Amino acid sequence: MRPEIKEYNYDWLMGRALRTAANLPRGTKKEIGHTYQYIPYFKDIVKSLVDLGDPGFQTLDMLATYYENILSAREKGKKLCATTFCNSPVILYAMDIVPVTLEMLTTIGSLVWKRGMFDYMDFCVETGMPETSCSSQRGAQGALLSGLCEKIDFAICDTPGVCDTNANAFAFLTEYLNIPFFQLNYPSSIGDRRSQKYHVDDYKGMIAFAEAQSGNRLDYDRLAEVLAEVDKQDALIADLEDMLMLKPTPINPIYNMMLYGGRFCFSGHPQYTKLLESMVTSAKEKAITGVSGLKNGKENLRIYMSYIDHYTADLNFFHYLEERGIASVGCILSKNFRDNSPYADALAGSLYGIDTTSPDAMLDSLAQMNARLPMVRSIRGPYDKKGMWLEESLTFAKMYQADCVIYNGTPGCRNTWGMLKPYARDIEKHGYPCHIMNDDAFDDRVESWEATRERLDEFFNIRGLL
Amino acid sequence: MDIFYDAATKIKCKSIEDWQATGKPIVGYTCSYTPAEIFHCVDILPVRLKGIETEGMEIGDTYYGPFICSFPKCLLQLAGKEKFKFLDGAIITPGCDGMRRLDECWRKAGDDYKGIVPDFFYYFDVPHKSEGHGLAWYIEELRILIKKIEAQFNVTVTDEKLSESIKAYNKGRRMLKEIETLRYKEDVVVSGAEIFAATVAGTVMQRDDYNKALAQWLDELKNRATSLSAGKKRLMVIGSISDEIELFQMLEDTNDAIVVGENLCFGIRYEGNEIEEDGNPVEAIARHYLQSSVCPRMYGKYKERFALLKQKLDAARVDGVMMQNIRFCDLHGAENSLFERDLEAIGMPCLKVEREYGPMIDVGRMKLRINAFLERLDAGAKKKMAS
Repeated sequence: MRPEIKEYNYDWLMGRALRTAANLPRGTKKEIGHTYQYIPYFKDIVKSLVDLGDPGFQTLDMLATYYENILSAREKGKKLCATTFCNSPVILYAMDIVPVTLEMLTTIGSLVWKRGMFDYMDFCVETGMPETSCSSQRGAQGALLSGLCEKIDFAICDTPGVCDTNANAFAFLTEYLNIPFFQLNYPSSIGDRRSQKYHVDDYKGMIAFAEAQSGNRLDYDRLAEVLAEVDKQDALIADLEDMLMLKPTPINPIYNMMLYGGRFCFSGHPQYTKLLESMVTSAKEKAITGVSGLKNGKENLRIYMSYIDHYTADLNFFHYLEERGIASVGCILSKNFRDNSPYADALAGSLYGIDTTSPDAMLDSLAQMNARLPMVRSIRGPYDKKGMWLEESLTFAKMYQADCVIYNGTPGCRNTWGMLKPYARDIEKHGYPCHIMNDDAFDDRVESWEATRERLDEFFNIRGLL
Repeated sequence: MDIFYDAATKIKCKSIEDWQATGKPIVGYTCSYTPAEIFHCVDILPVRLKGIETEGMEIGDTYYGPFICSFPKCLLQLAGKEKFKFLDGAIITPGCDGMRRLDECWRKAGDDYKGIVPDFFYYFDVPHKSEGHGLAWYIEELRILIKKIEAQFNVTVTDEKLSESIKAYNKGRRMLKEIETLRYKEDVVVSGAEIFAATVAGTVMQRDDYNKALAQWLDELKNRATSLSAGKKRLMVIGSISDEIELFQMLEDTNDAIVVGENLCFGIRYEGNEIEEDGNPVEAIARHYLQSSVCPRMYGKYKERFALLKQKLDAARVDGVMMQNIRFCDLHGAENSLFERDLEAIGMPCLKVEREYGPMIDVGRMKLRINAFLERLDAGAKKKMAS
């Protein structure tokens, strides 16, 4: 790692950058304009969020707070738990533990820095992680391994049985740093009696581990409060999903990222509720007048991203969608699979509900919710089986009136790349043009953004979509 | 030994041909977490699928994406080329993400290449936890698998039959263990390639025939006197899946090294533990297969695996460890790095290489790395003697 990188505590660096950005909307127009001059590589992302008005301000504040929580945990006597985006932070908030979600940190770094997370990804490889492993963990993992972050107390991941490279990253990180580690493990099926029971049994083991590591007993009254907040959030998400189905949709593509980013950071936390309320209010105004959420007000195409979005420097991907007038009706990350969602009937049998009437009911709700988080629900089993990836992709493409389906991921995603070609062929068989993006969502060195953009244009042109 | 080499280096070996002539079924499986005893006890030949004899990758590459380990791709290629036509069934296990997707890729390839998917094509869901509810899940999976086999092949699996099969497999395990101890001696009379071939053969041959051949070979080995290890570096091979006898031959053909141990899922790895012969046989099988914790797919058990490896290294008096991982095998790639860190720290030289599985396409590069490693071991030995 270059010596100058080691000069800065990574968490502090990101935390300060985000807080400064979050304070920006309070400035005068002149002050804001002046500030943009000093952040040439970060300007477009800040500007995009500031231009969104209140939902954008809330997002910046939320991200800054997320980092501040990490930076202040030690002095507040709280424990830091390294975890993954598809493990809900709800239980951690209920137990007063601060989550450090590796993929969120990698995403933030990728968006904010011109050089992205390259230096940290490479450092991670220097310590022994294969370069073929997933970049979404490798970035933040490299920063942690280099000792430039707040010390992690323990780690919980929930990807064994779902994503080898993710689970392996946690196994390596915790062994390398000698940190206690717990893995939630998922069977290849969902919705049946056996797998539902397995989810709960495993989840109980995780709570026991978190209690032992944090020294905090799970307070069920507090858990009920947090779950009530999740319930509120899920209702707001359902509202947003309803509006995403409108044609044109009043939902700007970046709203999807705000929706799932907030959920990964602050599910069950009032700050996320505030963001969702603001997003719903803003989107409703447009919905009433039938205006598209895209800045130019014209929706030329609707895409369903069947895996993840693209996150390299400065929101390039989202700007591209705006330029071309493309509405995104979401991705695997933005769907929560709650039983009150607008697609609940179409995917009956593999959703979750929230019941706070007893401790057991709450644990069951939490375990089943966790089992429906991105990847955990959809790619745990053969893609063409009930409740799995193909079924949900086709359901969403149909219900949200997508014109095509696009896959984007990372080369490290062994699981999806193992089935992607037959999956794409099946999607096409059902009448949806399907494009496989060959880039790395977090690393422009794999394929430059310019090349990615060219390939997207080529796809849209050749298939007569744009 | 010829019978072992035949079984280890051919897809359709004599042992399979002989079995096929009887008209009895053959079921292939892809992972060491599949208990062969369940098939053996009802006169089905369990055959662990090997990736050897692959001569191209056009089918493997058509269905799998580019970022996938070449071993499952080879299996798919062979299936597409009808090399596994002799199978009446196949069991796919989520050993790793690449291997689990053989389920879809093979089935979907079957839409284009008619007749390549066996009638009995089964996804066997092995958990990543070996205790409590993980073990309970696996036991239930075994019981479901048994029912499916009974229905498909019109057979009945009883506890008695299963116990007999456990005994038959344990007999072979005990002999392999005895052979393994021959490698612990100062003068080793058996090459690594021979032992690996004999072990791989055990995953293909009918168990009773295998036990007989193994007993004969063991007698022969006991009478061997010529040391193959004198003046040579004693190596251990660990890491990603490999059924390649050539890999061992390449190491030993340097005439400067002998392989005295391996920690590979095709090798003598489970053999330290026999299956309990008393009590409920399904539960005994489950404990054996799930709790040996030898594969990095069982996350969070690195320390146990390191202790096991260290014990084997000490017993075989190993001078150096060759740790290989097939490209895109992140599980072994990462674990090899941890092993390297911890073994080098206690003075055990390690060679970490990333490679492709297949017809030894990396052979030139590998030889270069191996020779450099042997030179390092030489230099180390000289330094030790001087001090």
